[in-house]
Amino acid sequence: MKAVILNGSNKDDSVLFNVQKIIYDELGSIKWEAESFILHEIKIAACQGDFGCWVKTPGVCIMKDDGQDIAGAFINSDMTVLLSPVTFGGYSAELKKAVDRLICIVSPLFTKIGGEFHHRKRYSRYPILIGIGVIEKADEESGEIFKKLVSRNAINFHAPHSASEIIMSNEDTEIIQAKIRKLFRAKEVRQ
Amino acid sequence: MKSLLLLIGSPKPSDSTSESLGNYLIQQMSARNCETKTLFIRPAISTDERREVFLSATDKADIIILASPLYVDSLPYPVTKAMEMIARHRQTSENRNGQQFLCIVNCGFPEAHHNDTAIAICRKFAGEVGFEWAGGLALGGGEAIIGKSLDKLGFMVRNITKSLDLTADDLANGKVLSHQAVTLMAKPLMPAWIYKLIGEFSFKRQAKKHQVYKNLEDCPYQWKS
Repeated sequence: MKAVILNGSNKDDSVLFNVQKIIYDELGSIKWEAESFILHEIKIAACQGDFGCWVKTPGVCIMKDDGQDIAGAFINSDMTVLLSPVTFGGYSAELKKAVDRLICIVSPLFTKIGGEFHHRKRYSRYPILIGIGVIEKADEESGEIFKKLVSRNAINFHAPHSASEIIMSNEDTEIIQAKIRKLFRAKEVRQ
Repeated sequence: MKSLLLLIGSPKPSDSTSESLGNYLIQQMSARNCETKTLFIRPAISTDERREVFLSATDKADIIILASPLYVDSLPYPVTKAMEMIARHRQTSENRNGQQFLCIVNCGFPEAHHNDTAIAICRKFAGEVGFEWAGGLALGGGEAIIGKSLDKLGFMVRNITKSLDLTADDLANGKVLSHQAVTLMAKPLMPAWIYKLIGEFSFKRQAKKHQVYKNLEDCPYQWKS
């Protein structure tokens, strides 16, 4: 089984790198392979909102950069982990830039899910979506927004399962390990 | 005289729904004796020099309006980046009290509630950087507007224009958005099934134009079965 980690850390953010190491260790312990993208280190152009990936080159963004590799890695993974500092409740700009470029993995045509419109599947299978947000101080509202965002992304990206967790940057390693272990040992992930 | 800064969050250089909505509100605010300025976020944060102008404009405005599309359940990357910049800037600058911030978020799905998470992010941003949260307007079916002037769209956008008229009244009087303005903006522009029909026809027509109609649902990244 293969996991992809989209690491939306800002430069010099050592906390997220420690969390990423724990994610690797925990995935290793359940015999999963992992591949990470440190988003601030790679070249990804911003989505231009031109729907080129739907109506000009269906399924592929017209911008040839690392954003294309990320889309490919995402759709071919069994689980994608969105790792980000919680930014006003949402993702960091670094992570958002990569997530915006993922619309090529769904169809422009519509379907109904849970009574509301979403874009239809392009692929027959999609990865589990896990969101891990790192926050400096306790903030219930930010945590709630983050979890809601991950769950909404999971609907739009047709994830068979999704879960999210908020980690405090000053938490002990054992607590962080326990939170991440719980995410990865859920029965929906182990199936 | 109040000063108003409209920030267009769409990465598109032109013909965006965000611009149509923002421009209408700007016109209404001008008519209510407000001084207005518009900046497109993507180019406004593209160089150091432009970033300085952008941040200075956010310092000076009495009211800041963000008009943005919804990208994958939240705000597009350039808007998120701009918010991070404003937050960093305001940690080290002397901030005025009483600056109002509101957002108008539109999505390509017929239901307006898809925008809720993006509006929650805007509200959180306003609170964290010290702006007064004036409220958020959510519009569904935004692809029906794409850059057209609301004045020319007639009956279809009647609830949008009513909502923005009420918003202009509220802002000009130093109030936050009314419940009525929020409710009117969220009303469907047309029945969802008609929107779906027109939307899918439009995507198929564009694909045909680019000679990829038969490839519309291709799976180019399918590396394994």
